[in-house]
Amino acid sequence: MKSELVSRQKKQSTASITKWVLIGSALSFLGIFILVPLIAVFTEALKKGVELYFLALTEPEALSAIKLTMITAAIAVPLNTLFGLIAAWAITKFEFKGKNMLITLIDIPFAVSPVIAGLVFVLLFGAQGVFGPLLAAYNIKIIFAVPGIVIATIFITFPFVVRELIPIMQEQGSEEELAALTLGASGWQMFRKVTLPNIKWGVLYGVILCNARAMGEFGAVSVVSGHIRGLTNTLPLHVEILYNEYNFTAAFACASLLAILALFTLFLKTIVEKAGG
Amino acid sequence: MSIVLKGLSKTFGQFPAVKKVELEIPTGDFVALLGPSGSGKTTLLRLIAGLEGPNSGEILFNGEDFTAKSVKERKVGFVFQHYALFKHMTIFDNIAFGLKVRPRKHRPSKEAINSKVEELLKLVQLEGLGERYPSQLSGGQRQRVALARALAVEPEVLLLDEPFGALDAKVRQELRGWLRELHQKLNITTVFVTHDQEEAMEMADTVVVMNNGRIEQTGSPENVYENPVTPFVYSFLGRVNEFRGNSLENYTPYGVDKPFSDKEVGYIRPHEIGLSRTFVNNSYPAEVSHVNKVGAAVRIELRRLDTDDLFEAELSAEKYNIMGGLKRGDQLFAEFQNLVIFNGNTLRNSEFELPPSNLVLRPEEVRS
Repeated sequence: MKSELVSRQKKQSTASITKWVLIGSALSFLGIFILVPLIAVFTEALKKGVELYFLALTEPEALSAIKLTMITAAIAVPLNTLFGLIAAWAITKFEFKGKNMLITLIDIPFAVSPVIAGLVFVLLFGAQGVFGPLLAAYNIKIIFAVPGIVIATIFITFPFVVRELIPIMQEQGSEEELAALTLGASGWQMFRKVTLPNIKWGVLYGVILCNARAMGEFGAVSVVSGHIRGLTNTLPLHVEILYNEYNFTAAFACASLLAILALFTLFLKTIVEKAGG
Repeated sequence: MSIVLKGLSKTFGQFPAVKKVELEIPTGDFVALLGPSGSGKTTLLRLIAGLEGPNSGEILFNGEDFTAKSVKERKVGFVFQHYALFKHMTIFDNIAFGLKVRPRKHRPSKEAINSKVEELLKLVQLEGLGERYPSQLSGGQRQRVALARALAVEPEVLLLDEPFGALDAKVRQELRGWLRELHQKLNITTVFVTHDQEEAMEMADTVVVMNNGRIEQTGSPENVYENPVTPFVYSFLGRVNEFRGNSLENYTPYGVDKPFSDKEVGYIRPHEIGLSRTFVNNSYPAEVSHVNKVGAAVRIELRRLDTDDLFEAELSAEKYNIMGGLKRGDQLFAEFQNLVIFNGNTLRNSEFELPPSNLVLRPEEVRS
């Protein structure tokens, strides 16, 4: 009896040791790799005073970078939301040949290195590229200009909304939609009154993640941008330039903006997750 | 509205779900599509609704070809097994949906919609629950909302896909009676799918028994139960004993001594088996192995002493008492007067020049 009790206590104490070791290592990992860098960004940014921090953010080149970043996101995010809805709808509501192929293709932007993605667009639209002569003939600039940045960003952020929607729509099936049709709804009424309300939190979640990536994308944009100051620099590219010029305070000030964006995204994400149940 | 299906077929990939189905449903009929899972009954229902398109064949509503018409144009009320209520809408909005999505010139006024929904809530006995959401209702209530929603658009045909399949036994029983009453009140042509033969027998005016994408038999519940035309219908509807091979060997009910092949199977319902304590003509010795006395009928499991076949007989409690009660090990004589023999899918009894109805309609008798 007694020995049984002792062995049970022993078992419990080993279980609790395992628990604390696991929790402890998870927390210290998070601390070292996420919390410390985050703090470092803000301390570096504010090292030489608040005044210099804001000066770094309000100089014309920084403002132009912020503006370009926002324009890019403002184009890429709505387009990817629309494409995402269409693709998720097609994949979950219809049976067709090449469906699995399509699902695989959607994941390509996640699987391919962003630098390669950028290079592909240079090879397509650059001066020596496939469509280079054609574009030159009509005097359209894509590479080393804003359109290139937008295209690269759309490519990189395409999967976010679709990936979010496919499982939700698969789980819901199409019975509610069919019920709407039998009740006399048109296709558009069905989408607006039945489908959209059911997936709205999923859409919002996808949009938030898509936006965060659109604003933060570096690799692909770096290849197609050409780093022309005040013209084709997005915020992440601007940070890199400042850093390479040993202008650490300004670099970290701009980086802190991106960090704030990330924190804000996480905050929104949590709220949306809660609201969507 | 009357429905006529002509040579209707549907395949999914390589799998033929519905094979050349012919069916006529007169206006106001209450029809059960009955069959095991995979028999094609739900596919047939969805074909009628327009939720699936047939590979070949025709669907006529009131004599008019509706085969190519969309779901919307068919104006059928459809009730799904899992209700398919709009989760994000209140019960009121769910029921009003069909009226609210009408084009402006056909849309009733707000007041008209309100009174219609109130009327329907009353009809399905859910008054005062209009402001709730589907998740706040029980399964039985949800299914009634689904029905009210389908009825709101005043369909001429009501189609129900396993309407009570997801409900527990007691609620199911209640709703059966209730739906039956509702049909009598509204008299809408109604077709429902079920795998539960009891449900089909209890509710429907016409039972359509399906198997492997084909209709095996169509008729009133009494008719399909008492005069099954195929072995499948025999074994699917109600309890039945099967005898094959040498159990049939000595079976010469009408003085015709014909050998039976391996393909031949004899069917007899438990209540059609006559039991007696003494030998009578054409009876076989059997031993009682179990007696189950629950309710008005007594089920007796027996073993034939000549062939070792196990079978089940059923007596009314009254007859059982007249026999003086039975216990395990009692030896009786069983009579299989009403045995119906099929060779493959064809009735063998016809070879005895006796129509099957004469065989099976003969009242069972217990001689003691």
